[in-house]
Amino acid sequence: MSGAPILRHKSDETTPTRSLWRASGSRFLLPAALMLGLAVFFWSTPQLRSDNFIFYFPSGCHIVPIVSMGNIRYLPLMQILNMVGKVGGIQEKKNSIRIWFGNTQIELKSNDPKITYAKEPYDLPQPVRLSEGQWLVPVEFLTTILPRLTHQPVEYQEGTSRIFIGDVKPASFTARLDPIPNGARLTVQFTDKVAVRTASSNGKWIMFLGDRPMEPLEPSYRFHNPYLSELQYDDQDGVPKLVISPTSGGLNFYPMQAEGGKILLADVLKPPSLVGQAAQPAPPTPAAPATTHPPSAGPTPQAAEESPAAPLGPPLPVVTLDAGHGGADNGGHSRDGVLEKDLVSQYVARVRAALLATNKYRVVLSRAGDVSASSEQRALAANLSGAICFLSIHAGDLGPTSPRITVYSYQPSAAVLPAAATGTELPTGAPPVAPPPVDKPPIFVPWEQTQEMWLEQSAQFAQAVQQQFALLNGVEVEPPTTAPIRTLRNVNAPAVAIELGRLATDEDATALTNPVFQQQVAGAIVEALAAFQKGGVKP
Amino acid sequence: MTVRARIFLAFLLICLAAGALYLRSLSKRVLVEPAPHAEEAARAKLSQIALQPNNGTTQLATLYFPSLNEGKILPESRSITWAQTDSDRVRQVVLALAEGSHQGYGHLLSASTSVRAVFLASDGTAYVDLSNDILSDFEPGIQTETLIIYSLVNSITTNIPSVKRVQFLIQGQQVETLDGHADLTAAFTPDPTRVKSAP
Repeated sequence: MSGAPILRHKSDETTPTRSLWRASGSRFLLPAALMLGLAVFFWSTPQLRSDNFIFYFPSGCHIVPIVSMGNIRYLPLMQILNMVGKVGGIQEKKNSIRIWFGNTQIELKSNDPKITYAKEPYDLPQPVRLSEGQWLVPVEFLTTILPRLTHQPVEYQEGTSRIFIGDVKPASFTARLDPIPNGARLTVQFTDKVAVRTASSNGKWIMFLGDRPMEPLEPSYRFHNPYLSELQYDDQDGVPKLVISPTSGGLNFYPMQAEGGKILLADVLKPPSLVGQAAQPAPPTPAAPATTHPPSAGPTPQAAEESPAAPLGPPLPVVTLDAGHGGADNGGHSRDGVLEKDLVSQYVARVRAALLATNKYRVVLSRAGDVSASSEQRALAANLSGAICFLSIHAGDLGPTSPRITVYSYQPSAAVLPAAATGTELPTGAPPVAPPPVDKPPIFVPWEQTQEMWLEQSAQFAQAVQQQFALLNGVEVEPPTTAPIRTLRNVNAPAVAIELGRLATDEDATALTNPVFQQQVAGAIVEALAAFQKGGVKP
Repeated sequence: MTVRARIFLAFLLICLAAGALYLRSLSKRVLVEPAPHAEEAARAKLSQIALQPNNGTTQLATLYFPSLNEGKILPESRSITWAQTDSDRVRQVVLALAEGSHQGYGHLLSASTSVRAVFLASDGTAYVDLSNDILSDFEPGIQTETLIIYSLVNSITTNIPSVKRVQFLIQGQQVETLDGHADLTAAFTPDPTRVKSAP
């Protein structure tokens, strides 16, 4: 019993390693090992986010993808320069680049925060980066160099993702929430008149604010309220809108405008069945409402339906517009960083505006903003609204020519035209599988065969769209064709997909981001729809 | 704290760190790596066997390669020494397409695309399980994906008469689309209208 402590004592005193272990190990080992373990477990490779930066000009807006590295936000330099002026020449070396822009030169070095502009050095808070052949500048470039490049006033609020260049006067707003019987009243006071259109999508209410740029004082308002939880401003797809999040589902939403569009009043009320059988909650009537909208009976899960400010009358036909991809699904991208999901959103926004301007259609968007939507959800947006047609917009590689457009209608994967009809010899071992003759449409159609009931009408619609595109100057338009496009399969209406080219990683998307071209495409689609309607739609 | 307790604590912490490291590599393997090494090696061996048959007959096969510019698939003849079984012949066709055109036609199918498995059903459906390398060499889009699919389907059904239709799987899974556009939920029959007819 007495030997053990003596031995341990001797050993501790005579072994220097153990002394060191005792001195340092007990202090540092535990936290060091814990830190190591946690660091290894939680360390992850850097990921690129897909937020956008919106450049507002007097003529419109441009969307530029933000590249996040750590907590630093970067923007693609060449895309910015091409937006604000003309690049005269580029001299690129391994780690540096010299750009002739107008009468001056810009010099940048990779991993160096110093930029030389017109032979004057400017220091950015973060270094310039060269990533995958793309020159990236920190967002502070916008306040340091951009005003000198544009020679125009530049308005940028630090920390935001939008900038106003030139004679752009953005409006702003404040919001307030007040309790009312069986609900809450949201009051949004704009600094200028705004034309508001209502929609609902993914359990939220969307208030589109027209094409008027906005610079919100607060990007979002959070409420501790049993009816509304949040009001958020979003223009990530270039379309300014307020996104109103209800605290729970099944509420009624009554938006209206007052004072000529400077005030938006939105009442959120419990539906009558929840309040009781006593009285129907009449929509509140402000003193002088400029525009009223029918109440939305709770947010619908997918569709974003818009109600144009038209007098009450027969319901207008609904057109469903589908911007491909969205959310985590970027689709393709170009060399200058244009993502397919953002590009096609721009086209959809222009087509939507052009259609609404005719006062002949209502528009349902299959996705509002940068959100992901499944093929079923997109089809449901059209089917539930009884759309007269469905138009999906994509961008991709259509060969070397740009701009180039191909219009597709749906092709079932197992349906093949007989060889005699095409004049093409069938390959060996591939007997033709002709669709069975249909005398009259069946009462019930399998969900996965929905679009097969509309193949003829969809082909006619594709023909009408292609004919209008063919009238555009400088655009190569292919004859309409068919493809097994997943998004079209479940649509219960004439449906086409438009693919714009060329969007590829080895080419800039300059031709497709051109606002003039985008507007031409939108106009052609409106004309095509009118022509298709004149031809009649057979169910 | 006794020396033994310290040693035990140190051992415990090292185990914790090693465990965390292993968990991380495990999660990466599950999420990123397609399959265990041994399985991939076995598949590569199968493909190798399919490509180097011993007693097969050599015939001219017709392969279809996509042309983005024309929006069609173009036929190309190639001499292939066929394997014994139809499933190995399907492998041969896919790998020949992945190898690329000898006449300089378009090449959308990645050269690293491998055939994980082929299963022939009695109704003439060939279930072709491709590695996700197929997604690595083309720009996603309606036209590119449609041409890739019919390049494969027309090539397989033309050269292997027992195959009437082709159902694609990626990494062993039935997927909704090839890369966001073309519907892969059903089997494809060949489409002769996709083939550019001879001038």
